Amino acid sequence: MDTIRSIGVAIDQTAPVISDEAALVAELKGGSEEAFAYLLAIYQNPLFNLISHMVAEQGEAADVLQNVLLKILRGIRQFNGRSSLKTWIYRIAVHEASNHRRSWRRRLLHEPFSMDDDTLHLSVKSPIYKGGRETPYSVYEKAECQAEVKRALTDLAEPYRAVVVLREIEGLSYDEIAEVLGVAEGTVKSRLRRGREILKRRLAARLSRST
Amino acid sequence: MIFETCSEIRDHFSEYVDGVCAAEAIHSIRYHLSHCVPCTSELERYEALRTELRCLSRQQVSSDLALRLRVQVSQELHRNIFQRVLVHLENFFRPVLFPSVAGSLLALICIALMLGSEAPQASSVPDIPFVTPPRVQVLPSVNLDAGAQPLVLVTYVNAQGRVTSYKIISGQQTLGVIQQLDQMMYYSLFQPATSFGQPTSGQVVLSFRTITVRG
Repeated sequence: MDTIRSIGVAIDQTAPVISDEAALVAELKGGSEEAFAYLLAIYQNPLFNLISHMVAEQGEAADVLQNVLLKILRGIRQFNGRSSLKTWIYRIAVHEASNHRRSWRRRLLHEPFSMDDDTLHLSVKSPIYKGGRETPYSVYEKAECQAEVKRALTDLAEPYRAVVVLREIEGLSYDEIAEVLGVAEGTVKSRLRRGREILKRRLAARLSRST
Repeated sequence: MIFETCSEIRDHFSEYVDGVCAAEAIHSIRYHLSHCVPCTSELERYEALRTELRCLSRQQVSSDLALRLRVQVSQELHRNIFQRVLVHLENFFRPVLFPSVAGSLLALICIALMLGSEAPQASSVPDIPFVTPPRVQVLPSVNLDAGAQPLVLVTYVNAQGRVTSYKIISGQQTLGVIQQLDQMMYYSLFQPATSFGQPTSGQVVLSFRTITVRG
């Protein structure tokens, strides 16, 4: 397998563009703070977005992201280049988010809770009306719609949710998803098909209105 | 690959919308969709679902979290105790180094300026000493025969600079020497001694030695 891959363009304008992944990995293994700053500039937002859709509680995505970063920092020396850096990082993020979700569920089962506890429900950010062509009503409707889709996604069972998020939200290809999850490409296809079916059923009313 | 039922077709919609179906399957699905309204509606719902998912707002890392991540990276990379101490020291001293150096320099400059203004001004008038001894102004040349021993005498000078008396401390005290000394003292003139700038009487010690010049 060719270990040298292009990892794309830096998102942060201030970060220098390192097009050679092997060089970047070498810098990371050498403990270069600049290389890690570059890595953060590229991956912190996609990872945070991925984790936000994977964990049950939105507020815990920051903690999970910090754990992911810690694992990347401590594990970069063991990175052998058999997969791309991107899929290696995403694999850590998906595993960490899944573990966190499992432990959160265990905690939820054992902890007493109040029926008035707002944290049990998905928090929907208040829509912000910015003027322009959108009316306050359309902004609110859009926010409601997003909340409904997010709720359906969060309620999706673990194996399907990971595949759907990686494909639909992060835009990874089938073979990249297979690498991240450590499963065969056929498994990715079947999980994606099943996940989409479930989502389509749950959002049937909304999708009917859309089409 | 030719699909015959709607169920078979719908099983491949997921890959079809992602564009990863084989060419034959794509042809077969397109042919089926051209005459099957329920499957076309089903595919539209697939497309709508994809749109809804892709329109979900992307979560961005807040500036506070971004800063925490940078700090975490820095701390993790400087886990070595020595390096951590260095980083802590640097972080501690860097903000205070410039202000403290600038402050110290400013304080030194202020102190120097204050001391400079407090110092007494140099007077243009020369200082007057409290007491000055009499000084020789005119001493007539006399061929004094003082012998081998030096002749030392104390001379008493009045406020007008004239010698009032003298006393030989050491040396020959012959009559000839005394006559020569009397003559010399009579014609001598001294700058009188002063006390607080006023001329007054004083004493001056004179020493004479015979110098033989050959040739």
